[in-house]
Amino acid sequence: MAELEVALIGAGGIARTHLPAWTALGARVRVYAPDGQAPALAREFGATSVGSLDEALDGAGVVDVCTPTDTHREITLAAVAAGAHVLCEKPLSLGAAEAEEMADAAEAAGVRLYPGHVVRFFPAYARLRDLVARGGLGRVAVARFTRTGRYPTWSGWFADPARSGGILTDQMIHDMDIARWLFGDVVRVHARQQGHLAAPAPEGAVATGTAVLTHASGTISQVVGVWGPPATPFRTTFHVSGTGGTVEHDSLAHLDLRITGALSSGPAAGIPAGDFGESPYVTQIREFAEAFAGGPEPRVSGRDGVAAVRIAEAAAESARTGRAVELARRTTTAKTSTAVATKGIEQ
Amino acid sequence: MRVAVLSFAHLHAATYIRLLRDREGIELVTADPEAPPGDPTRGRALAEGLGADYADTWDEVFALRPDAVIVTSENARHRHLVERAAASGAHVLCEKPLATTEADAQAMIDACARAGVRLMTAYPVRFSPAFTALRSALADGSLGGLISVHGANNGSNPARSHPWFADPELSGGGALADHTVHIADLVDALLDGEQAAEVYAQANSVLDDGGPAPDVETAGLVTIRYPGGLVAAVDASWSHPPDHPTWGGLAMTCVAEKAIVEFDAFPPLLGGFNSVTGRGRWEAGGADLDAAMLDEFLDAVHTGRRPSPDGEAGLRTLRIVLAAYESLRTGQPVALPVG
Repeated sequence: MAELEVALIGAGGIARTHLPAWTALGARVRVYAPDGQAPALAREFGATSVGSLDEALDGAGVVDVCTPTDTHREITLAAVAAGAHVLCEKPLSLGAAEAEEMADAAEAAGVRLYPGHVVRFFPAYARLRDLVARGGLGRVAVARFTRTGRYPTWSGWFADPARSGGILTDQMIHDMDIARWLFGDVVRVHARQQGHLAAPAPEGAVATGTAVLTHASGTISQVVGVWGPPATPFRTTFHVSGTGGTVEHDSLAHLDLRITGALSSGPAAGIPAGDFGESPYVTQIREFAEAFAGGPEPRVSGRDGVAAVRIAEAAAESARTGRAVELARRTTTAKTSTAVATKGIEQ
Repeated sequence: MRVAVLSFAHLHAATYIRLLRDREGIELVTADPEAPPGDPTRGRALAEGLGADYADTWDEVFALRPDAVIVTSENARHRHLVERAAASGAHVLCEKPLATTEADAQAMIDACARAGVRLMTAYPVRFSPAFTALRSALADGSLGGLISVHGANNGSNPARSHPWFADPELSGGGALADHTVHIADLVDALLDGEQAAEVYAQANSVLDDGGPAPDVETAGLVTIRYPGGLVAAVDASWSHPPDHPTWGGLAMTCVAEKAIVEFDAFPPLLGGFNSVTGRGRWEAGGADLDAAMLDEFLDAVHTGRRPSPDGEAGLRTLRIVLAAYESLRTGQPVALPVG
């Protein structure tokens, strides 16, 4: 790959997974973080750090936005204005209007905007997508998804609904995106959330959310998110049933390697790593980098990111009002990546 | 003690007959006069196959003055048998769901109360020793407060072998009526009978479309909210493949303040592969929940104490099912009357 100049904005947990991925692909990375953590992160991975957003954007071909969600719009618009392609961590924004503005701006500027819906790059979910898309499950009736990890108390903004959207938007948007990827547009959402739903979240806080998505195809999906007690291991599951049988996955059921017997080394990891094999973060960033360089469209588009935010926003509204929220049917404006055949799930 | 199993419409009739016929101190009699003539899985043919005494009419079986009856008729045909049993002074174990309407369920409860007989709803899963341990752990505070529950009770479509499950007039509905109630009853036990406040449901009949269940939903998701704030998310689908080595299962995860607890009511004891059938091997593990449930019922009959889950528990969970169907019609969550 031609020397890629990447501006990584943010130096938290996700920046820590993205930076080595960029480095592995041979990119040159300058890191900027408003919280002053950039120099330490850059040093650790042999990148450079810069002291301002302007300095970071100057001459960057790609901007990787790894900051809290409420800052995504401003940084993305600045990056687009500077003529850079953008990888923006999920969710694109807290509201669909903002996300749409970001996607529109990128389109108008002729640059690419891709959301970091990295779960599409985890092998079990990529395989599930293949299976569903080629009709291996027949017509899908019902699916359920769970995502469980420790409450993200390591960074205060996660617990703040005004900054992260809380568990419904920040965490459950992963599986909302997967459900839409698999079964098509969502026309109705009902959601509930319980537990500790405000900042600050003390160590030991717990929150859960549950959402039921009704797809235009007729398929129904249940999404459950758990931010659990401190020792909660990271775990995701899915179970999908169709006329051709069932498929299920439990990320802790069949490990390549399981180590037990060691004294507890403290709280569980908060951000999942891949198993052996290529990190899904590297797969994601390679696919995006190839698209930035003029290659094929990746498996997730900016418009997919907007659609995911729209579902999450409806879920948040449902949780707030107690009502199910109807989503207008939209013609898919996304590019080829979302136009993949959904045969097998159509009515 | 004389115990009568009334109707073989429900699959569980044979289960109860097998469990009761060899019990010491139990004189078992059965009756299935509404069976379709000539059906080898019903009526006298089934009773004789199982080695159980059989009466040809309801009059005949009630003339024997049973001390207790087990009602395993179609869901909508529970009421007339329960009322008749109550009038004859017999205690009642009634298959779930208790009825298909609130009026029927209330009439059954009232009839038993008036007659001074006990009414129990057949929810076997709460008799799992593992569930008892979960209940204790919640009760003693070691898990902290319960925040949410999510679980799945999936089975293969029972209408394949028992077509009335797909006739809403007899069943009250499909997968939602059949399977929401088991997890709802577990939550009922964990919450000491707190009546749900609100129910949301979505469903479809993609599975077995045009097959044995054309008139009822075969997949359903239900979200139940309780007044204390607990939310339970349930997958009640008949989504378990019919050619799978087991009928289905029930698993539930409880998220509490201090821990997350996963409960599996029907864990496999052994797995593997069966080369003769070409399918996975599945040797069921866990306790015999039906036997434990019968122990509770027979003990209540013996001692005259109130069995648990009682008729009111059956009514509370039935209300959740009825609200789920109302939610399907409106597309919105449905509030239950404050109890």
